Amino acid sequence: MPTDLAVSALVTRANMGDQGAWNDLVERYASMVWSICRQYRLDRRDTDDVAQQVWMAAVEHLGELRDPGKLGAWLAITAKRECSRLLRSRHRGETAEDPLGFDMTADERTGPIEEEVETAERNAVLHAAFMTLQPRCRRMLALLLDELPYQEISARLGIPIGSVGPTRARCLAKLRSDPALAALMESETEPSRGERHV
Amino acid sequence: MSEQWSDEELLARLGAALNAVDSVPRDFVEAAKTAFAWRNIDAELAEFAELAYDSEFGGENALALTRAADSASLRALTFVSRELTIEIEVTEDTLIGQLVPPQPGRIHLRAESGAVCETTIDEVGFFAIGAKPAERFRLHCRTATGIAVSTGWITL
Repeated sequence: MPTDLAVSALVTRANMGDQGAWNDLVERYASMVWSICRQYRLDRRDTDDVAQQVWMAAVEHLGELRDPGKLGAWLAITAKRECSRLLRSRHRGETAEDPLGFDMTADERTGPIEEEVETAERNAVLHAAFMTLQPRCRRMLALLLDELPYQEISARLGIPIGSVGPTRARCLAKLRSDPALAALMESETEPSRGERHV
Repeated sequence: MSEQWSDEELLARLGAALNAVDSVPRDFVEAAKTAFAWRNIDAELAEFAELAYDSEFGGENALALTRAADSASLRALTFVSRELTIEIEVTEDTLIGQLVPPQPGRIHLRAESGAVCETTIDEVGFFAIGAKPAERFRLHCRTATGIAVSTGWITL
């Protein structure tokens, strides 16, 4: 999968000491780590603690990952484990009862790892594609996402109302033409990934 | 070629992606980037800072005479390397430290279990770690000028 390859390449570069590659990985997965902590209802301080453990562990084990393209899954698993551990230790401190039952509810709070990672990868690709658009297109899409009526959009962008539709189409087409996004859309809509012939 | 997402689908997913990014505080992301500075901290040639003074075993050297007197209840430790001295004092729940000569940087505490904690050393070489580790730990320090120093294991 192209996403895996992109991640794998970043991991390799980071392993060689490339801070920029590491930054890209962080930008890609920070919102996933954040959202996992949210699901465990951690406050900001605990979230920062968990994140620190997760990123430090990642830095330490970057060179040992069996499948570098799966860094996202590794981060998600590590984040969940750290969240559980933190809650467990806190819980043990307060009441000594039924740690097992507590564990189970903690795990039910979050969706499956694959889903988490898939969303993070998709968001990263979409965000990166969005950032390559012209500022005008970005603004147009942002206004559309705010669900403003065409009239309002036309006024804000200073274009005739008749151009809003075509501009929207052009900007979305431009977005689609991003190679990483195109590859992602294809892989996600393909019915059986396993049977692909290159 | 298989069908791609419709415009509506694409927009909805884009909206979700932008929301996910926006909901994360920037300082959260920036903090994660600084973790990279600790890559290979054990493997690289960080200078080893030797324990030169420990208040628990005070009186063994000249430094101890002055120190033990004014801070009897505090545990104080001094680590010395060629370029840098790290002084730490342990209060009830905080570990405070001072670099000599004073200079900014980052300090990283790694407990034996692998738990880590990292913080900034300010412009005058001061740092405070808001957690007193219950297990053995080591300190790794990296100054803004690139000096890297590691201490041996410390048990409080």
